[in-house]
Amino acid sequence: MTPARPALPREFVAGHKRRRMMDAMAELTAERGYGATKIADVVSRAGVARKTLYDNFSGKEELFLAAFEATVAEARESVEAACATVAEANGEAVEAGLEALLEFVAEHPAQARMCMVEAISATPATAALYEQAIQEFVRLLREGTPPARNRPETLEETLVGGVVWVLQQRIRNDETEVVGRLLPELSGFVLSPYRGVGKPGA
Amino acid sequence: MDRLPRGRHGLSPEFVAQNQRERLITGLTEVLFEVGYQKTTVSLIGRRAAVSKSDFYKHFESKDECFYAAYDSAIERIREQVRTACRRHADEPWPPRVRDALASLLLALAADPPLATLSLVEGLRAGPGMYDRYQAALEGFVAFLREGAPPAPDGGEVPRATDEAIVGGIAALLGRRVQAGETAAIGELLPQVAEFALTPYLGTDEARRIVSAG
Repeated sequence: MTPARPALPREFVAGHKRRRMMDAMAELTAERGYGATKIADVVSRAGVARKTLYDNFSGKEELFLAAFEATVAEARESVEAACATVAEANGEAVEAGLEALLEFVAEHPAQARMCMVEAISATPATAALYEQAIQEFVRLLREGTPPARNRPETLEETLVGGVVWVLQQRIRNDETEVVGRLLPELSGFVLSPYRGVGKPGA
Repeated sequence: MDRLPRGRHGLSPEFVAQNQRERLITGLTEVLFEVGYQKTTVSLIGRRAAVSKSDFYKHFESKDECFYAAYDSAIERIREQVRTACRRHADEPWPPRVRDALASLLLALAADPPLATLSLVEGLRAGPGMYDRYQAALEGFVAFLREGAPPAPDGGEVPRATDEAIVGGIAALLGRRVQAGETAAIGELLPQVAEFALTPYLGTDEARRIVSAG
C-alpha cells in the first residue's frame, strides 16, 4: 500500500524535531526565564514525546546549551557571510557584520534573549558558554578590523562588551524589532578608535 | 564590622539592629567572594556575621533581599568614591576629569576584591532583581559621563547609545578581569579604559594625549 503522504527521511524528521525542541526552549526561556521553564512545557510546545526529548538531551540544561550553541553558530555565520561580501578588512566589513548581527537579533528575538540575557544567569555552564561566545565575537572583530599601531590590547573586548550591553538593554525592553536603527550609532562607536576620527580643530 | 559585646552592654536596640544589618551585608559580601552565589547560604552569611538565623530573618525576608541590600550598599560606596574624585577635579575640563574619575573607580575596585566581585560579576549572575540593579548602576555612570561632555569631533552630539556602550563595555571588561581573579591589577587598565571612554568624544589622538598627561 502507498502511504497517504510520502515518508520523509528519518534523519530529516529527527533533525526537525531537535530543532523544534531547541526553538521551544528559546521561546519558553524568553517568555518566563530559565528557572521557570519545565521540561513538560518544552515537550508540549515542541509537539514531541517526552521520550524524544530525553533521547536527544540529558535534560533541561543540555537542551539549553545545545539551543545556545546552535543560535550562536547561526549568528556567527551570518555575520561572517556579511563581512565576506566586503573584500578587505576595513570599516565597511565591520559595518556589514554589525548590520547582520542587528538583523539577526531583530529576526530572532527569543533566541537573542536566551543567549544574551538568560544565559548569563541560568547556570554556571551557560554562563561559561556565554563568555566563550563573547570571545568568539571579539576574535571576529579583531580579524575584521584594519591593523593599527599602538591599539590598546583590550580594545575589541571592550567594544564587543559595549555593543552587547546596548543590545541587552533593547532585548530586555522588548525593543528588538527596532535594533536595526542602532546601526549608525553602533558602527560609529565601534569604528571611531580605528578611524582615529577627526582630530578636534582639524 | 566588629561583633558587639555579649550580655548587658547598654547599647540601644536600634544601634544593635543597625550593627547586625551591616555585619550581615559585610558577611554576605565576603562569603560571596569566597564561594560564589550558588553556595552563599543564609547560614554561611549568619555564621560569618555572628548573627543567628532567626535574627537574619528579622532584617531580611530572604537571601535575595540581603543580596539586594549588599548590592545597593556596594554601588553606593563606589559611586561615592567616584563622586568625590569628580568633586576634587571639578575645576578641570571634562576630559581629564573623566580620566581621574575612572582612575578612582579602578582604585576603588582594585582595593576591594569582594566589592568588585559583588558589583561587577555576581550582579549579572544572580537573576532579574540583581540585573535591574546592575543596569541602574550603569545608567548612573552614564549620567556621570554625560555631565559636561563635549560634542563629537564632527561637531554633532555623541549619540546616547555610545555613552551606554562606553559604560557597558568598560563594565564588561572589568567584570571579566574580576572573574579571572585579576582584580588587584585592574588599575593597570586605566590608560586603555580612559582612551576607550574618551575616543568617541575626542578622537584617538586627543584621547591619547589626555591619557598620557594623567
